Amino acid sequence: MHAVKTVLAWGLWLWIALVIAGALWWAPPLTGFVGGGESSRIVFFHVPMAWNAFVAFIIAGVASAMYLKGRAPRRDAAAKAAVELGLVFGVLATVSGSIWARIEWGAFWNWDPRQTTIVLALLFYAAYLALRAAVADHETRRRLAAGYAVLGLVVAPFLFFIAPRIAAFSLHPEPVINTEGEVKMDPAVLAVLVSGSTAFTALFFWVHSLQCRLAAVARRNGLEA
Amino acid sequence: MPAIEFHDLHRRFGRVRVLSGVSGGAGAGEVLLVTGANGSGKSTLLRCLAGLLAPDKGEVRMTVGGRVLEPAERRRAVGYLAPDLAFYEPLTTAENLAFFARLRGVDPGRGAALLDWVGLPHDRAAGALSSGMVQRLRWAWALLHWPDVLLLDEPLANLDPPGRKLVSQLLAEQLERGAAAVVANPAPIDLPGSVRRVELAG
Amino acid sequence: MSSWLAEAAAVFAKDWRAELRTRFALNTLGLFAVATLVVVSMALGPIGGAPNGPSVLSAVLWLILLFAATAGLPRLFVAEEETHTATALRLSATPSALFGGKLAYGLTLLVALEAITTPLYLAMVQLPVASPRLLLAVLLLGAVGLAAASTLVAVMVAQARARGTLFAVLLFPVLVPLLVMAVALTRQAVAGEPANVGLTQLVLYDASVIVAGLMLFPAMWNP
Repeated sequence: MHAVKTVLAWGLWLWIALVIAGALWWAPPLTGFVGGGESSRIVFFHVPMAWNAFVAFIIAGVASAMYLKGRAPRRDAAAKAAVELGLVFGVLATVSGSIWARIEWGAFWNWDPRQTTIVLALLFYAAYLALRAAVADHETRRRLAAGYAVLGLVVAPFLFFIAPRIAAFSLHPEPVINTEGEVKMDPAVLAVLVSGSTAFTALFFWVHSLQCRLAAVARRNGLEA
Repeated sequence: MPAIEFHDLHRRFGRVRVLSGVSGGAGAGEVLLVTGANGSGKSTLLRCLAGLLAPDKGEVRMTVGGRVLEPAERRRAVGYLAPDLAFYEPLTTAENLAFFARLRGVDPGRGAALLDWVGLPHDRAAGALSSGMVQRLRWAWALLHWPDVLLLDEPLANLDPPGRKLVSQLLAEQLERGAAAVVANPAPIDLPGSVRRVELAG
Repeated sequence: MSSWLAEAAAVFAKDWRAELRTRFALNTLGLFAVATLVVVSMALGPIGGAPNGPSVLSAVLWLILLFAATAGLPRLFVAEEETHTATALRLSATPSALFGGKLAYGLTLLVALEAITTPLYLAMVQLPVASPRLLLAVLLLGAVGLAAASTLVAVMVAQARARGTLFAVLLFPVLVPLLVMAVALTRQAVAGEPANVGLTQLVLYDASVIVAGLMLFPAMWNP
């Protein structure tokens, strides 16, 4: 079992290395972007980061709901790990996005709806962790944090669907894959984007499982999280 | 028959294990007296029994009329008394009890009757009561809804000798009615009814 | 005089030493500042609409309500915990009834506040209100959502430390959708600028938060 896991881990690193190489050299630059489009290579990192930041939100909400149902500490640990990872991925997405925004649109920040929603997700994550830090008793802490995560999940759809509709404009490129199910981009770019997204998602889940295992060990030894 | 039992209760606060596997119970007309030094977990135990605190491990069962109560039902069914139980200071004793009577769906006259029983004025603001009078008010509040299980943490605290006699009588009447009681106190005290004693180690 | 100085200095040193050990107030204050900045920017920025009288004032109206809620509504549960009446309440009240009662109380506080601020707001905007019925609807529905979210967050914060700042930190992200919708609809009601969102979404938000509150509150209030 341990050998299988080691092989998988090394496989993941190799895969990510290939994605990076593909992103930086193999895939052609996207058309229609500033300065020959070399800066567009950021998309191969920015998109997976942002995607995983939102996946983390859902995982945290669902795990928290499960915790409130059965009160199993491992669910709470899963929610907390998801939030922590979501924060990391979200910050990376925001930073990578800001850099690209500076190049493409001239400013680091424009209050574009997509930019805004990631910041709000980050605020949520930080608030969740602040709540955890503010409660001394372990049982109360798990309960309250879980409630907040579920509340966040309930409110989130309004955020993602309302903000774009009200906003006067959007600078983000139209979603190229989602709208009609037709793919409108260069196959090489698509290949790197999809495999990159998968790789980073796998990375997310791998680190998440490590965090959960660490938390389980801590619980077994009477140490707290 | 009304009864309360608990098995293998564990509870820690941070790294301090306050309850490490304590079990016991009390049936109708019985008293379980829990003694122990400060910090030995007496109050924690009572709070777990009342449903104010969730144990890390172990089970609490309260049976009324042959049926085991859900935790939410248990919370409202017990008669609880503790040193940190407080009332709304701007409201009078009567208004306080009337409010809780309304919450519980109990006849509002009951509060007034209990105040007379424990010898408290009806129109004194709760914030203006002496500590002994607050303790009497706690007794009145605990008995508001004819509870089948009494959880009493330091039931005689702050009471003058007439007060102690009064509440002992109250307790005896409840036990005769068929209630069960778990009493926590730092030192052993004289209690009516059939008493079993358990000492919590720190 | 020097002993007074020595005492004041001792208090200062003690507070900073304790704070640096936990860095708790610093972190929460910092987060509060960021959350406030984001919320205000959102209300006034591109999502808030073009910078004109009704626009800015609509945002200000709702920001005032939001901050008033932050100042006043945590009391709903913090007062119970601080005076230790929460124990008696936990053992007597049905959780959903408690939530309903507190929500109603918070709502009436907010509506009373709106009754004071809205006339002032209208006087400053100096426009005939395009749709008074819409304005009334937005004010009421917005207050409901604000009260519901605040009640739920208040019960969480009452069992934690740094309650004032933590309340705002927790509430603001949850309330952003409401804020954005309310500001847009207020602008539409007063100046006729289309909001691209309707009362339906606002009602949906309110319903979601109330249902979530009713389902979550028992677990937040009791172990």
